[in-house]
Parts: sequence; structure tokens; C-alpha cells
Amino acid sequence: MSKPTLLLIDDEERILRSLRMLFFTGYTVRMTTDPHEALRILRDEKVHVIISDQRMPLMQGSELLRLAREASPATMRILLTGYSDMEASIASVNEGEVFRYLLKPWVGEEVRRVVAEAAAIAEASFAVQSNKQVAVVKSHKKPRVLIMDHEETTARTVHEILGDRCEIVWASDVQHAMEELARQDVSIVVSDLMLGDTNVGYILKTIKQLNPQTQCIVITSFNDTSRLIELINQAQISRYMPKPVSKNLLARYLEAMLERFHALSAQPALQERQAVAAISDPQEKLQSRNFMGLLGRLRGRMTA
Amino acid sequence: MHHAKQSGKGILAREIIALVNPIKAISPECPVAEVAELFLGPDYTQLLSLPVIEHGRPVGVISRYRFMDMYLKPFARELYGKRPIRGFINDKPLMIELDQPLAEAALHVAEKMQFPLTEDFIITRHGKYLGVGFVMDLLKAMELRMRANTDELNQAYTQLKSSQMALVQSEKMASLGQMVAGVAHEINTPLGYVQNNVAMGQEIFMQVRNLLADYEALVDKLLDEQASEEQIAAQMQQISAMRADFDAQEMLGEMQGLMVDSLYGIDQISELVLNLKDFSRMDAAATEAVNINACIESALNIGRNVLKNKVEIVRNLAELPKITCAPSQLNQVFLNLFTNAAQAMEDKGELTIATWFADAALHISVTDNGKGIAEEHLTRIFDPFFTTKPVGEGTGLGLAISHQIIQQHGGEITVESHLGAGTSFHICLPVAKSERRLEVVAA
Repeated sequence: MSKPTLLLIDDEERILRSLRMLFFTGYTVRMTTDPHEALRILRDEKVHVIISDQRMPLMQGSELLRLAREASPATMRILLTGYSDMEASIASVNEGEVFRYLLKPWVGEEVRRVVAEAAAIAEASFAVQSNKQVAVVKSHKKPRVLIMDHEETTARTVHEILGDRCEIVWASDVQHAMEELARQDVSIVVSDLMLGDTNVGYILKTIKQLNPQTQCIVITSFNDTSRLIELINQAQISRYMPKPVSKNLLARYLEAMLERFHALSAQPALQERQAVAAISDPQEKLQSRNFMGLLGRLRGRMTA
Repeated sequence: MHHAKQSGKGILAREIIALVNPIKAISPECPVAEVAELFLGPDYTQLLSLPVIEHGRPVGVISRYRFMDMYLKPFARELYGKRPIRGFINDKPLMIELDQPLAEAALHVAEKMQFPLTEDFIITRHGKYLGVGFVMDLLKAMELRMRANTDELNQAYTQLKSSQMALVQSEKMASLGQMVAGVAHEINTPLGYVQNNVAMGQEIFMQVRNLLADYEALVDKLLDEQASEEQIAAQMQQISAMRADFDAQEMLGEMQGLMVDSLYGIDQISELVLNLKDFSRMDAAATEAVNINACIESALNIGRNVLKNKVEIVRNLAELPKITCAPSQLNQVFLNLFTNAAQAMEDKGELTIATWFADAALHISVTDNGKGIAEEHLTRIFDPFFTTKPVGEGTGLGLAISHQIIQQHGGEITVESHLGAGTSFHICLPVAKSERRLEVVAA
């Protein structure tokens, strides 16, 4: 097998030179300070992984990655930035659909591990892409949408958007949410980050570990960039919307997520594209383990 | 219900009740001569007037003054002595209800009171006579109440003051946070490659050391007469395998470039740290003689992160005399104006900074060609808490603090703006006489 190709974009050439050294062996490294040049390379060459800076004079990284999705959908997208403001982080989820959000200064070994994982996933995606014969089989079962929110507004809005095309379940507390998750897998989770006074980040992270095709839309008034970055890496949330929510935007996101859910169900190989990183917070790790145990027991009881 | 009454009217009633002197009232039928005795008696010496009641309800008062006026006339004792007092009383006495709020009662008494003061007032409960109140006591009670109010006001004022301080502090923290985030980015970029380059250097160092050890082993074997051809061949084999994996010359060449980069990065970090130190002048809390142009440069350095790629900066800085000021505070004002200007620009824009010396004052103007400020906002722009930024993004204190800082320096800050064309701030700082001469020397 030939070496996977890695494309690096940063307005600081010294960052590019330094990263190239990190991937000197094992990769074909392409690098540029010009985002347009990067897009040209993406269109002309088979690029497995793109690593982009966020703040660049000609184009924001999240914007470049959005264009990269169109230019080369199989390429895995990683953001490497020294500045984590909320706006950039939200754009990297909603537009860039990044696989990982990494911070400068970085840990060499970690970046190497992430890139190796991403390159393998991209290789599988390229293989699926060339296997065009697989038709998208839409299951006849209605998709299931779980809303985890203390307030009813979100559930009502989702209901107005989706009508009876989906089975819509509203859980206003953690207990109820867990029961619903145990009963049956869900296609889409629309969740606030706080349910009552419980932080449900660990639930989202666990869902994604158990069921990679489930798509998470986070709707919240909670603003914390480092938490959001964690959710990108460890829960691979698909969309992030600040409250109050625009109904049009939510409608667009829900349609996109339904489509993606069907695509992933038909092509399990693509599910890996949203593989999650291990949970970093020790308390959340414990909560997640307990939650998995609980799900196992509840499911056992329900099928018995 | 019971509780509500106790905590509501009850407290107020208690204020009036403290004023009640349970004086025995007289009947309107009481003969004038008897009233004269009472006025002279020990029970009534304190009283200006005697209350007159009928069936428990007050019908009037007879004041000592009025009584004397009548009784000291010639033959009055003989003429009126046996007549009932009813004909001589003031039948519109000052009356207050027990339940009445103290302030209301006081207002009522003050309005109706006649000078010189000749009558006490009557206190009733549900219209029935309860006792007599003295105007002096009422005034004293009012004064106590006012003092309590003043204490409350003082307390509220102190609280307000401290919460205002807290807010100002939080605005300082917010702008500090913004600044730190910006500087963090500036530092994280060079730190990113410097750290990685050092780690790479370490990896290469290990590989070169291994290769060197293999070469040395080969040399040792070649010099060792005991070593067999096979051993030497094996050692050479090992070395060429390593060389296939690791091109030492190329790697060392690369690494040399990374070393140059790293030194450059470290220089950048040092410069940033120096700028930060310049900017904050933590060590110089007191005022000192400062060149305002240097302050502007320092603020531009710190704001570089927000400004670069977005704002074209035009400097029209004249030579200025040094002035005595608090540089860290002025830096804050400038940074605030610069970042506001950058935020007012949709995409890219121009920021013109001019300084000049005229009319015994330094002038600084900061002009942007951003979206401008609406007229209705312009008048409120220096008001505390006024902001047009989304909730959570601005405390609305930035310009209020800037205004305060300039005022404390004896200066003035004004603004002019045209929607769609841009905004211009003008700061004027007076220069002390002793400092003006420096300008002449400098010019």
C-alpha cells in the first residue's frame, strides 16, 4: 500500500515545517499557506487527512474545511488551532464537520495517533466511494428522535418540523432519557447540555460509543469553548446550536441528519468517520461506564 | 392574616403609640372654674391644651393660651366661672389615628399646626379618644425615622458602590480575558512549533546516537584482529539497514532548519512577553512621565491579534512632550478604542491614529471607517452598561471606564460618528506647565 497523503495548511510556515517533520516517515506530506492552493490539491490528489489552522488571513479554517467537504468528502478533517473562541468552535462543528479539534501547542504522539486513525478511516471511505453499486436502502421503520431538554419548547419545535415522519420522544429528565435509550436505539438525539442540574455530556459521549450512526444535535444556552471542544472530540456531535433556536436552521439540520443517518445505516464502513476519542474526564468516564452497565441491564430485562 | 397585620400596619401603629400620653380628658360640661384648677394642677403642667371628649369621642381642645386669654379678662371668673367649657373650646382640634403612618401623621400635624404652638394633638383609635400627643415628640420620632432612612440609604449606597466596583473589576477582567486569549494565540503558535521541534530534535538525536554507536562498533571490529569477516559483515549489514530507514544527512539538514525556526519562535515569545509587561506596567502603579505615542504603540502591540489581517493602521503621530499619567490605564483606554474600532468593521477597514500638541494639551484621535454608531446610541455611548453587543459579549463598561480614566487625568473624550462612514474618538489631555517646556526642547 502506498503512503497516505497528509495536507497541512497554516499561515505560519514554521508550523508547516515542524509538522512535516512529525510525519516525515509514513506519510506523503503536502503543505501550503494558501487555502485556495489547498483546495486545488484536494480536488486533484487523493488526500487522506487535512490539518488546518483556524485563524488565517485569507480564509478561516472552518470555512476551508467546509469547502474541503465538497472538494473531497472522503478526506478526514482536523483543525489545529492556538485560539479557541466559541464562534470558531461552533463553525468547526456545523460547517467544518471536523473529526478532531486539536490545540496548539500539541503533543506530538497524540497528533500522530489521531492522524494515523484518520488516515485508516479515510482509506476505508475511499474504498466505499469507489464501490458505487451499493444502493441506499431506506428502512421502513420510522426513525426515532429523542429530545433531551428540560423545556418543552424544543420538543414542540421538532414535532412541528418532522410531524409524524419520525417517532419523537421527549425526555425532560435523565432518568426518562436513559429509559428511552435503553428501550431502543435512536437515530437522532436533540439535547441540551444540562438536563435539570445534570450535565449530560457523558450520555452523549456514551451514545456515540455504543451507536456510531446516531447523530447528535446539541441545543444549548451553555457557552463554554473547552466543553464544546471536548464534545467534538469525544461525542462527535454533528451540530451545535445556541438557544434560542432558529426553527429554519433546526429544520435544515434535522433533514441533513436524517439523511446522514440513513446513509450510515446503509454503509457501516462510513460510521467510523465519526469515531470518538476516549473520554478524558475521570468522573465522566465513571459515569459513562455506569450508564453502559445500566443500559445493558435494562435492555436485558426488556428483551427477557 | 394575623402575621400580615403584625408585620404591616402593626409596626407603623407602634410608632404612633409611642407618642400617646394617656391624659384624662374632660367633659364639655366641665365648668370653666374647674378647668382653671386643672390647668394649675400637677397632672396637667406639661400640657399646652386639655382634650375635651363626649361619649369617648374628642369634640375639641381648650388651650392654656386661649383659656388665659379669656380667664384673665376683668371679672371673667365671675362672668364665666360656672359656664361649661363647651362654649370656649376649639372644636377643630389636631387629631391623628393610631393606625396612621407616622410620616402621614407628621405631615397632617405640620400642615394644620398653628404658630405659636398653643395646642397638643389628640390621638384616636377608630375615632375614640386614646390620649394626647406632643408635637415635639412627633418631631423627634420623625427625626429618628429619617436617621434610620439615611442609614439605610448609606448602606444601599455602599452596596451599590461596591457592586459597581465589582462590575468595573469584571469589565477589567473581561478585557483582560480577551487580551489574554489573544496573546495566548500569539504565543501558542510559536510555542507549538518550538515545542514540536525540540521533541523532533530529541527523536533524531536518539537515532543519530544509535547510528553513531553502530559506526563506532564497526570501527572497533575493523581494528580488532580477533573479529571475523562474518562479524564485520553483520555489523555493516546492520548499519545499512539503519541507513535505509533513516537518512541522517537529510534529517540533520531538516533539523538545522527547525533549529533556526525555533530560535525565531523563542524570540517572538520573548517579544510578546516584553510587550505584555510594557502594557501592564504592574510595577508602576503611580503616575509617571510617559510618551503617549509609546502607549499607543504598546496598545497596538497587545491588540495585534484582533487587528492584524483586518485593520490597516495609519499612524500620524507627532512629537509629543512627556506627560505625567498612569500609563497602564491609558493603555487600557487605547486598547479599548482600537478593539472597538476593529469590531465596528464588517470585513476590513482602516484605523487612523493621530496625535498632536496644541493649546497646552495633547490630542489623540482614533478614527475608523467602520459601520458607525446610530445617533440614538451616540449620546449613551459613555453610559455604564450601555452596549449594542449581544448579551454576554460586552458588559457595556468599556467606554464608561475609558471616560472615567480620561476624566481622572483631567482630560476629555468625545465622539463623532456617521452611520456607514465611521467613528472618530477624540481625547484631549492637559499638559502641566512644567511639562510644556519639554515640548519646546523636543521640538
